[in-house]
Amino acid sequence: MSVTPPGGQRTLQKRRQAQNAKEKQLKQTPASTRQAGHGGSSSSILKIYTDEANGLRVDPLVVLFLAVAFIFSVVALHVIAKVTGKLF
Amino acid sequence: MAGYRLVDIAKPFLPILPEIEISYEKVPFDDKIVYTICSGLIYLFGQFPLAAISKDEVRVQDPLYFLRGVFGAEPRTLMEFGLFPIISSGLILQLLAGMKFISVNFKLQQDRELFQSLTKLFALLQYFVLANIFIFSGYYGENLSIVQIGLLNLQLVGAGFFAILVSEIVDKGFGFASGTMTINTIVIATNLIADTFGVSQVTVDADGHKEAQGSVINLLQGMRSKHKTFLGGLVSAFNRDYLPNLSMTLIVLGIGATVCYLQSFRLELPIRSTKARGMNNVYPIRLLHIGGLSVTFSYVLLTIIHLLAFVLIQLVARNDPTSIICKVLGHYETVNNLLYVPSFPLSLLTPPRSFFSGLFQQPLTFAVYSGFMLFTGIWFADQWQAMSGTSARDIAAQFKEQGITLTGRREQSVAKELEKVVPVASTTGATLLALVTIVGEFLGLKGKAAGMVVGVATGFSLLELISLDYQQSGGQSALAQVLGAPGRF
Amino acid sequence: MAKGNEKKEAGSQIEKLADAPMEFVKDGRQFLSKCKKPDVKEYTKIVRAVGIGFVAVGIIGYAIKLVHIPIRYLIV
Repeated sequence: MSVTPPGGQRTLQKRRQAQNAKEKQLKQTPASTRQAGHGGSSSSILKIYTDEANGLRVDPLVVLFLAVAFIFSVVALHVIAKVTGKLF
Repeated sequence: MAGYRLVDIAKPFLPILPEIEISYEKVPFDDKIVYTICSGLIYLFGQFPLAAISKDEVRVQDPLYFLRGVFGAEPRTLMEFGLFPIISSGLILQLLAGMKFISVNFKLQQDRELFQSLTKLFALLQYFVLANIFIFSGYYGENLSIVQIGLLNLQLVGAGFFAILVSEIVDKGFGFASGTMTINTIVIATNLIADTFGVSQVTVDADGHKEAQGSVINLLQGMRSKHKTFLGGLVSAFNRDYLPNLSMTLIVLGIGATVCYLQSFRLELPIRSTKARGMNNVYPIRLLHIGGLSVTFSYVLLTIIHLLAFVLIQLVARNDPTSIICKVLGHYETVNNLLYVPSFPLSLLTPPRSFFSGLFQQPLTFAVYSGFMLFTGIWFADQWQAMSGTSARDIAAQFKEQGITLTGRREQSVAKELEKVVPVASTTGATLLALVTIVGEFLGLKGKAAGMVVGVATGFSLLELISLDYQQSGGQSALAQVLGAPGRF
Repeated sequence: MAKGNEKKEAGSQIEKLADAPMEFVKDGRQFLSKCKKPDVKEYTKIVRAVGIGFVAVGIIGYAIKLVHIPIRYLIV
């Protein structure tokens, strides 16, 4: 156990070290996809889906057509409900 | 369990969650326009009335009427919840990850994928939960049969599923910038037109009189209609409560103009190249550094609070003013057979329906609601600017990469200098936007003020990216030439 | 003596708490005064660009919504 007076150079050094370590840590663990350098939300844009995950891959055009088909199926549901009178 | 992280929840779902493919080659500018507009139009077309709703008179009315404008949600349609689940899951999970409550290593491809799938899953879950809250609250009619409940679930969750995928198409580079934001802006612009020039006739009273939705059209009709005097038509065109009126339209336009004005506030930092001499330029830091996101976030929180209250009051206490929950939280009152307006404690976070009634009946709301908007907006701005990848440190790193430095500064102190500017810009911008929203909402716009603020601010963020894209594509766009507006961007 | 110190500390903490918003407002004002504001010409250009964009997109969108009206009429 050495007795050193508080303050002085050591403390300064320690502080600097702590500061450096903190900065390093910040750099190593990015807080968002963009900070990690892979696109995504920026300051004024909320961009959620950027990476291609290993899922069920689908083509965008197919999705657009399916979406329209879905809406028309709801229209069809209206028509069925009207024709059959009181189905539900 | 040690080593088990929240993102791992998404793992078992990975093989069945649909993913939009990323295009192998760069999507041409024109294709982007087409994809973006198609996505927006499909979303708008999706605002189609739900089938299988009971035809009887419903007692439960819309509790979220003043929150819908921000999320492109239309009551009793497929887009009942609009983009709210997608936006809220995106914002909240990103905030949690940025504040290290969820451990994600964004440097790893695998972690990013998991995080993204988790966001998608969370959005889907929200659609499902919200749909069932609304179904069981009696909002679609009481005593629904099992078939009806199943069909409603299918419609609402299915619509949510497609909303997620359509916004993902735009996100993944087939459209401009961000799916939720482009679609949202398109919907807000459409609503503005519908509220001003909408010709659809809505039955407004028991006698079956009809009025136009659009305020301008209504003015023209009101002057000629038989059941009103000329002056009465004129007055009602300016102050009708049940549909958009002219004063609202004017205030909304004023808000749009104000946001435009604020948008062009910027601090121009002089920069110079470290490689070549005499290369001087300016780097602008915008006042609205984080755009309309702060208001969006405040409204996400507000929606969550109101949804929770709705669950407690309607689902648990059945909106019975004598029950304990209603005594503590307040209950709903039906107004105009259209809206569900909360009473005292909950009304503190509900902007008044008109300025004067608000001033006399709920003066406390002014303080609480403003405080809420300002506090959440500023807090969010402070957090978001630090984590979103455009913080002072990131900009400094970007400078270094491009061989730029602030004039009169050493390279090392650039980050410090920016640190003095960027957070202040974000929070000040958020404050001003919140103030504009507050003023607008207090004038009785029922969510249209917030919608306009978000719409215009977002529109600007998008416009910037679109024009960048346009320049990068070398200005070669058949569409732009056809439209004859290359200077518009 | 100690008591006085404590009081002072508590006082300074409250002061700090009260100072935070003041500081915030001051920083914000300083930033605003340093900002470059748009002149009339620039402003009108911006408003026109945004206005045209909003109205164009809105009209296209509303056209789609108009399609709903006859469908609604047919099925309800």
